[in-house]
Amino acid sequence: MATIKAVKARQIFDSRGNPTVEVDVILSDGSFHRAAVPSGASTGVYEALELRDGGSDYLGKGVLKAVENVNSIIAPALLGKDPTKQTEIDNFMVQQLDGTVNEWGWCKQKLGANAILAVSLAVCKAGAAVKKIPLYKHIANLAGNKTLVLPVPSFNVINGGSHAGNKLAMQEFMILPVGASSFKEAMKMGVEVYHHLKAVIKKKYGQDATNVGDEGGFAPNIQENQEGLELLKTAIAKAGYTGKVVIGMDVAASEFYDNKDKTYDLNFKEENNDGSQKISGDSLKNVYKSYVTDYPIVSIEDPFDQDDWEHYAKLTAEVGQQVQIVGDDLLVTNPKRVEKAIKEKACNALLLKVNQIGSVTESIEAVRMSKQAGWGVMASHRSGETEDTFIADLSVGLATGQIKTGAPCRSERLAKYNQLLRIEEELGSAAVYAGAKFRAPVEPY
Amino acid sequence: MSVQDYLDKHMLSRKLEDAVNAAVRAKTSDPVLFISNHMRKAVQSVITKIKARQILDSRGIPTVEVDLHTNKGVFRASVPSGNSTSMYEAVELRDGDKGVYLGNGVAKAVKNINDKISEALIGMDPTLQSQIDQAMIDLDKTEKKGELGANAILAVSIAACKAGAAEKEVPLYKHIADLSGKTSPTLPVPAFTVISGGKHAGSNLAIQEIMILPIGASKFEEALRMGTETYHHLKAVITEKYGAHNCNVGEDGGFAPNISSFREALDLVKEAISRTGYNEKIKIALDVAATNFCIGKRYDLDFQSPQKSGQNFKSAEDMIELFKELCSEYPIVSIEDPFDREDWEHIKHISSLGICQVVGDDLLMSNAKRIERAITESACNALLLKVNQVGTVTEVIEVVKLAKEAHWGVVTSHRCGETIDSFIADLSVGLASGVIKAGAPCRGERLEKYNQLLRIEEELGDQAVYASEDWRQ
Repeated sequence: MATIKAVKARQIFDSRGNPTVEVDVILSDGSFHRAAVPSGASTGVYEALELRDGGSDYLGKGVLKAVENVNSIIAPALLGKDPTKQTEIDNFMVQQLDGTVNEWGWCKQKLGANAILAVSLAVCKAGAAVKKIPLYKHIANLAGNKTLVLPVPSFNVINGGSHAGNKLAMQEFMILPVGASSFKEAMKMGVEVYHHLKAVIKKKYGQDATNVGDEGGFAPNIQENQEGLELLKTAIAKAGYTGKVVIGMDVAASEFYDNKDKTYDLNFKEENNDGSQKISGDSLKNVYKSYVTDYPIVSIEDPFDQDDWEHYAKLTAEVGQQVQIVGDDLLVTNPKRVEKAIKEKACNALLLKVNQIGSVTESIEAVRMSKQAGWGVMASHRSGETEDTFIADLSVGLATGQIKTGAPCRSERLAKYNQLLRIEEELGSAAVYAGAKFRAPVEPY
Repeated sequence: MSVQDYLDKHMLSRKLEDAVNAAVRAKTSDPVLFISNHMRKAVQSVITKIKARQILDSRGIPTVEVDLHTNKGVFRASVPSGNSTSMYEAVELRDGDKGVYLGNGVAKAVKNINDKISEALIGMDPTLQSQIDQAMIDLDKTEKKGELGANAILAVSIAACKAGAAEKEVPLYKHIADLSGKTSPTLPVPAFTVISGGKHAGSNLAIQEIMILPIGASKFEEALRMGTETYHHLKAVITEKYGAHNCNVGEDGGFAPNISSFREALDLVKEAISRTGYNEKIKIALDVAATNFCIGKRYDLDFQSPQKSGQNFKSAEDMIELFKELCSEYPIVSIEDPFDREDWEHIKHISSLGICQVVGDDLLMSNAKRIERAITESACNALLLKVNQVGTVTEVIEVVKLAKEAHWGVVTSHRCGETIDSFIADLSVGLASGVIKAGAPCRGERLEKYNQLLRIEEELGDQAVYASEDWRQ
């Protein structure tokens, strides 16, 4: 049985040219297993703490302290441990080596969630290698899940909000090929719609609208959100996939919420904004309902502010049967907030971001809780990614049913999709694609 | 065969005894694991299986990926692809069926690997790179690899190169250095794309790329820091002047603000460098890609603009004057493709002026015959090396040798369609190319090359040498 012989961290760069942590775990059998952590642009106040150096180097975003925490604190403590004991190692790092706690749970403030997660992911890969099984199978075993499922990809193709420089308030518009018969076919559908969308946008807005944002989506200079939905409808039709490719939205409403008067300002990106377009939570709910009526929308993420539990519950009650209501900023993959949302019926799907919770073990627990409550789960990237493909294996192993990892553009996004192609090929005839059952592809485990 | 004959034939008792003795000497905590690893190393590896598949590159366009299996493990490679392919480069095989991936599928190339190439190479020693490459060239039988597809051949060639390095238990860059015959590994100066124009982005700027070279850094890590900091400052400058809408990026991660003039773009870069305080340590390079906007004998600087004024056509002489002015006003040290690929006369002229390095990309297409002609005619003084224009690792090494023997510079280059394969990072170190052009410090497929160079520099430790001021040699 191979054990951990060395753990080594370094600073590398993510897809936005920002520093991030990469870790190599070397085992006694000579093999090494590498992981790098993602990072978000719009981090929520409730997520695990990412340790940055501050100062002027790398505009304050260096992670040399986190790297040092891995090399001098975590590494010596893990020597000789069995990498297949994921829960033990994660709990050891989170609860003993770090040990910091806030009202929402373990916050990883001392060592940095970026330091802990990088090691957790690398150990998970090492554990799979020791057991001589694929990573996704190892993750399934850790979770107690017996059914592997290829997720429906949710391709981020139009950007607004804080991810783009246009006037769009809503952050992302996504296409989901639920009508494909396999993941391979879903990729074909997504890629073809994307290229048709590029042509439509170029014709309507000019060629400068075909440059891409942090996640590979286009940011055409459109004035209102419905226009984004019309573009998608057109592109899907041109590709010939009407009915097979449907739409999802990530509103990221916290970005345009005014806490003082409890309103939502759809015009927040306008330079000379007079606040005349502020609307109440109830009015915003009705905007979503009208979109759902007029377009094939199957998923809405972050429709309200992360603390607007009231309107979340209302929307979920009114359209939650036909539309998945996904909590990202609302939940930040935090078990206590997931528990509260389940109890209050605030939403019915979890957006799973491993760096918000900070370890593999805790990620699995958040997913398990969600599934037992009958929720959907969407495994997600961050806007700063590397070529690490862990979340692809995670989405299959946990049978999340959905994965959101950007446009079919930029290779830190494509790397995840390419990995899913390989997994499906490897599974052969045993491969199952989530398809229309993306919200509940397996029984809770 | 008796038990004793079997044991004798394979020298099994002796080999096992050697392994046990080695474990005892090492006093390893897990002797069985040690012995199994020792035995594994004693076996000469051969290629046991080659499996290809279609994956997607950084533009969401199909490309070829190969897994090459030996006794030592599985080695994976995927190939890049360009926008501007020409008659002189190796032929990329695409399916052409418009109903599937808009005609860009590579199912045929994948099949050629799984059927023909696989059968031809199984059993071969992965350290014999030139024999493997030659076997594929012989199998193809065409001059430009059009039968099997250069995308098929190159993917296997690179995967075999990785397998060969593992077989010799040396890093990939060391293996490449060995294959080329005694080169001292050198970390290249990165040429970071910071502004994209031409075919690589949606903007009105005619030239394809503006790059910054942190020549004044003391090591690659510092160069990458200079590059990322300048890039982020440039984003701030562009946001201030043109709004956040202009901060989306082109295919290689460069910003594409809606500007038209070379000077306007260069002023943005100059301002960004100034804000970092790295002034003299960072130089500028241009990739004009003039072939894309040459019409007859004139150059249309408005070719990307929807509203053509017809007033921005330049003669080649006008262009030379423009380049001379730009090189005196800005710290430009390198210009790539200043003229149309067939305008040998004016390329020679600008090279003879000695105002900066003149890099041949479209002029040469990494083609040995055109490189020889350019050397003979002193047409340019640096090669832009794109591995997929050549088609095999062996031939790549040959064209680099050709350029270096003529005392040219070599810039190892990406394509606008890339994957997370970081082969060109190791290639640039192993061949000591001096410069690597892999795009902006943005987009994962670009950063992966730069990140690999960080890992190589870390691994080399005290032995690491950064090209810095010697980047042209």
